Amino acid sequence: MDASQLLKGVLDVAVLAVVRDEDGYGYDVVRRLRAAGLEDVGDASVYGTLRRLFQAGALTSYVVPSDEGPHRKYYAINDRGRSVLEDSTKTWRTFADTVDGLLGPVAA
Amino acid sequence: MSAPALTPAVRQAQDYLAAVEHDLADLPVDDRSALLEDLALHLEALTAEDDDRPVAVRLGAPAAYAADLRAAAGLPARGGSGAPGLRTRWDALLESPVYRRAVPAVRGAGRLLADLRPAWWVLRGYLVVLVPCLLGYDYVEDVPVPAPMHSHLLGVLLVLAAVTGSVLLGRRKVPQALGVTIAAAGVLLVLASAAVAVGVYDDLRGKVYAEAWAPGPEVPSETHPLLSRYGPVTDVLPYAADGTPLKGVLLYDQDGRPLHVGVQEWWADGCLRRLEQPRATDGVPVPNSFPQSYELVPGDVGATGARMSPGICVKDLTRPTVPLPVFPATAATPAR
Repeated sequence: MDASQLLKGVLDVAVLAVVRDEDGYGYDVVRRLRAAGLEDVGDASVYGTLRRLFQAGALTSYVVPSDEGPHRKYYAINDRGRSVLEDSTKTWRTFADTVDGLLGPVAA
Repeated sequence: MSAPALTPAVRQAQDYLAAVEHDLADLPVDDRSALLEDLALHLEALTAEDDDRPVAVRLGAPAAYAADLRAAAGLPARGGSGAPGLRTRWDALLESPVYRRAVPAVRGAGRLLADLRPAWWVLRGYLVVLVPCLLGYDYVEDVPVPAPMHSHLLGVLLVLAAVTGSVLLGRRKVPQALGVTIAAAGVLLVLASAAVAVGVYDDLRGKVYAEAWAPGPEVPSETHPLLSRYGPVTDVLPYAADGTPLKGVLLYDQDGRPLHVGVQEWWADGCLRRLEQPRATDGVPVPNSFPQSYELVPGDVGATGARMSPGICVKDLTRPTVPLPVFPATAATPAR
């Protein structure tokens, strides 16, 4: 099964979940998603999703200057983002339970 | 002081950024600049890493990266917003199966047109001389060899000179502006030729009609030996005094010469008929036997040779109704 198609559907909630725990800049979000197990997530998909969530008012951003390297644009979740994440989490759990029910118990 | 030399990795990153920027060129400025700013920072971070792989390997091709960015950001695909642009539609046309099937034919037609260019050079040289000559009243003498000032020799010389000049011009490389002017002049020449041809055709047709509808000959001829005040007599329809239509009546003039009439060629139904005169016992036709005998040509053929609809051609045409004088019942041949 092509996991990349599934990933597209849950990338919003995954990104929101990542920045809920801690603010992050683009590359940081990519790495944390991969570290969490979503190895196939594409850089462009994450940056595009961040941009869309920011445009939708679910994220805020701020720039942190750096003396050693390039400055970094951090993204932070806000109340609207948390509300979206909460709704998305419920939707995901219901969906996942439904599909689990359809698939039946895991074979030993 | 000179700027620090760019490392290959930095140059690669810059090229990558420029390529993605090109692919996002149609987006609104704020979306584009925000996405490019993120990418620039991302590339900078990647360049700082200890990874020798090219950027295009790590991030994918710039076009694919830009497409993923658009899709994830909920922005329209390249050229996909609103009505498709002219360029997009043109690309779609070039990629359509119909165009691909037509490509060989289009190329063949293009090659054929290129092969025909010398013929066009000759033709335009001829038309340049012919068209002005056809504008005169006496255009009949200008086809096929134009005769300016009534001289075919002059016409031949002018055509040769014009064709030579036209071919030399056609073979020369000319600036684009001059080439466009020559092409426009060629189109005008073709249009003028068509207009003159239509004018000549109408004029000729008018003359043919005028000839066809012209009154008959004013002096007897071999075709129309008998004339009346209404024109050539092509048949005589004799009647008995009591109105009975007569057939096989032999007519002679005052000197005993047989009366001959012209051949009837016009019929109300427009169908073709041929003269079938009665024959004497020796087989010789008797041309002064009236009325003349015409037989319908089988096969529904019109007088002009065209095919007629079935049922139009009538085998036996009725005689015209004529007012006959009423003679006294006791009338007898007066004695002299």
